[in-house]
Amino acid sequence: MVRKLVHNELFIIGFAAFFIFAVLPVIYTISITFFNFQSVWANLQELNISTFLLLLKSILLSAFVAFLATTIGSVLAFVLYKTTIRYSSFFKILLLLPLFISPYILAVAWKEGFFLMFGSTLVLASYWGVIIVFISIYTPLSMLIVGNALVNISSEIEDSALLMTSKRHVVLKIVIPLIKPALITSFILIFIFSISEFSVPSYFAVKVFTTEIFTQFSAFYNYSLAILQSVLLVLLCLFLLFAERKYIANAPFLAIGNKGVVFKLYTIEKQKVLLYSILVLWLFVSIFLPLTILVAQSFSGGAMYLVQAINLIKPTILNSFFLAFVSSIIVVFIGFTAAYYNSEHHLIKLAKYFDLLLLFIFAIPSIIFGISLIFFYNQAALSMIYTSYAILIIAFVGKFSFIASKLISNSLKQIPVSLDEAAQIQSIGFYKRLQMLILPLLLPAFFASFVISFIFIVGELGLSIMIYPPGAEIMSVKVYTIMANAPHGLSSAMSLIVFLITLGIIPFFYLLVRPMLNKYHLSK
Amino acid sequence: MRMLKIVIIIISAIFLSNCTDSTEVVVVYTSVDQVFSEPILKDFEQETGIKVKAVYDAEETKSTGVLNRLIAEKDNPQCDVFWSGDPVRTIILQNKGITAAYHSPIADGISEVYRDKDYHWIGFSARARVLLYNKKLIDESEVPQGIFDLTNDKYRGRFGIANPLFGTTTFHMAALFTVLGDEKAKQLLDSLQLNGLVIATSNGDIKRRVLSGEIACGLTDTDDAFEALKESDNVDLVFLDQKGIGSLIIPNTVNMINGSRNVDNAKVLIDYLLSKQTEAKLAKSCAQMPLHKGVKLPEGVFSLDHIVPMKVDYRKTAKKLEEIQDYLKRWSEN
Repeated sequence: MVRKLVHNELFIIGFAAFFIFAVLPVIYTISITFFNFQSVWANLQELNISTFLLLLKSILLSAFVAFLATTIGSVLAFVLYKTTIRYSSFFKILLLLPLFISPYILAVAWKEGFFLMFGSTLVLASYWGVIIVFISIYTPLSMLIVGNALVNISSEIEDSALLMTSKRHVVLKIVIPLIKPALITSFILIFIFSISEFSVPSYFAVKVFTTEIFTQFSAFYNYSLAILQSVLLVLLCLFLLFAERKYIANAPFLAIGNKGVVFKLYTIEKQKVLLYSILVLWLFVSIFLPLTILVAQSFSGGAMYLVQAINLIKPTILNSFFLAFVSSIIVVFIGFTAAYYNSEHHLIKLAKYFDLLLLFIFAIPSIIFGISLIFFYNQAALSMIYTSYAILIIAFVGKFSFIASKLISNSLKQIPVSLDEAAQIQSIGFYKRLQMLILPLLLPAFFASFVISFIFIVGELGLSIMIYPPGAEIMSVKVYTIMANAPHGLSSAMSLIVFLITLGIIPFFYLLVRPMLNKYHLSK
Repeated sequence: MRMLKIVIIIISAIFLSNCTDSTEVVVVYTSVDQVFSEPILKDFEQETGIKVKAVYDAEETKSTGVLNRLIAEKDNPQCDVFWSGDPVRTIILQNKGITAAYHSPIADGISEVYRDKDYHWIGFSARARVLLYNKKLIDESEVPQGIFDLTNDKYRGRFGIANPLFGTTTFHMAALFTVLGDEKAKQLLDSLQLNGLVIATSNGDIKRRVLSGEIACGLTDTDDAFEALKESDNVDLVFLDQKGIGSLIIPNTVNMINGSRNVDNAKVLIDYLLSKQTEAKLAKSCAQMPLHKGVKLPEGVFSLDHIVPMKVDYRKTAKKLEEIQDYLKRWSEN
């Protein structure tokens, strides 16, 4: 009897659970749209030239955002990851802050700030507004992706090249080609985020493809057309994933930690002033400005708005954090299963499709995913799920597992195959290898996936507002529904508090996992 | 084993979350801003002992959540009572067979203009469409008094409305089409557009822009306008067309959901919301105007007795709305 190198049970559990709970509702909804709604033919005719022109406009907008965010992110990454600049860790953490603030809040802060500075928001209430806000949110993501690729370039390559040619040539001819996969990954991911985002273009009254879907859904109640349009969006994202697979199969995406690679740092004596200026300017524009506006407005009524905001948010904290905690754990499990078995897809053929399913749900607009969950789960037999927090957990896991899978997948690629092979030669079983070798090595990636998912879930609104169980108190929903008619100061105070408590809980998680990180990674 | 116990506890907590004794509960979905609706529902809980499970939404989000949810849940309704901020949404639900008739005895004190003839919905506490203006930017003597005044060159590029495809602004547009006729209404909208009309995302956004001085004036609802008055002394409001077609009155509406699981509790809640007591509370919290006679009004809150209302049939206006949605979309995108 031959011992199996990889057991399938974990894959079957992860794949089946994701497919049944998250994918099936969407397939069910698309099916009833195509087969049951009589208006499908009429709506297919609605997909006319103007629809495709709008889609093209959104593609161009998102491509422009992705290009600029990737460019700025790469510059920041180079400065912080490849130079001897001081306080680089401090800057790295600070520059990540926009990821903790919901895009809508950032849009509001930017608009208020623009008005205070220039007395008009005309420039901002246009494509430029959308571009500015998107770039400020997504640049940190690009910085992370590119930065991690940079630290995975062995110093030997650059040192050898420097013997022959100038720094400039090394960067242009060696470093950039080597990080090309990361640049493309950053571009594609930011592109998908931008093209699926609704709240910012809606706030700036800019018509893009997602706002058109929303209009069909909310003004015309034309689910059939809204779903057809969403399918176009999903097809586009799936096409990009295929492209990514073809060209950058081994791109290091957000790899956490650099396992064993010694990387080169460039000294920056001459360019010190320029580089610090770049960092400070970006910090000012993307963080200091919007946060100052939020803080100033929060204190516009003394401490009153802050006290009110705390009282309003207090009942939601436990619920929201519990949901985010449980969901993030499941997200990490699904992300790991997809990533691990995808890397072993020569053993399980179905595994390579797991990624596509994760992207399918990630790319589908929240409204459509939400309505699909309602159609599917609001049945007598499934009401246990529909009327409990389980529905929210399914929604969050569906939406955010793709990011976790990408993150873990690239960390997996950094684990030398020889380690696992050595263990196999020793006849160590699959689960023992997982427990003693793979999982400990992936611990930092698990932690990063958990934290990123947690942040996204706590701030998630589009899905939550569609499906949260009656009577439940959800932080993002409460902030949004209260903001609608609250004074500026109260809205800003609520946003600020959500930002601070989300930021504050992350060190707590770090303390929880530190003993394990110490055991496997930090101790020398 | 310990790990397994923890997992079982967490799973139980997830599935048992939100469970209440079904005889003691009523589920309400509301598109009325939470800051105003929640205190009323909390009072109801305290006074009746019936637990309220609410789903809130906001006009800022175009009430996408609750309305689409009610439509999607049609075959297996979870909601008992829908409390809407305007009659149009309720009529949309009524046309889709989602509402159920309930003749509340409290409704007898409310004018039949504000209720469905078969009691599929009943109105209470109303808002009105008003013009909010910034006193620093418009002189008192120059304040527009009618919607046609906004086509005047002196307001060019200085006034706004919310996206006409959503919320009470759609309703306002449909009412104008009903009252003025299609041709005249289209001429008006074209003239407004030629005069540099600014389209904001929501009524709340209009409030913010007038407060900040980004625009001089904008059409919004009384509740937004009163919030603006609380925030700043630099703004004021005016009821438009008091010598002409009148101001659009937008009552809240409440209705029972067809297939409601807690019919008795739903009736208790509907009666409570329609009561003078609730109207008095909403007058105080968000300056809504009571539809019952004899409700004591706080200072500064207008009485419907002193406003010339736009004469509209809400059902016909809802029908008109469906007819003009495509036109409004094209118009607003130009």
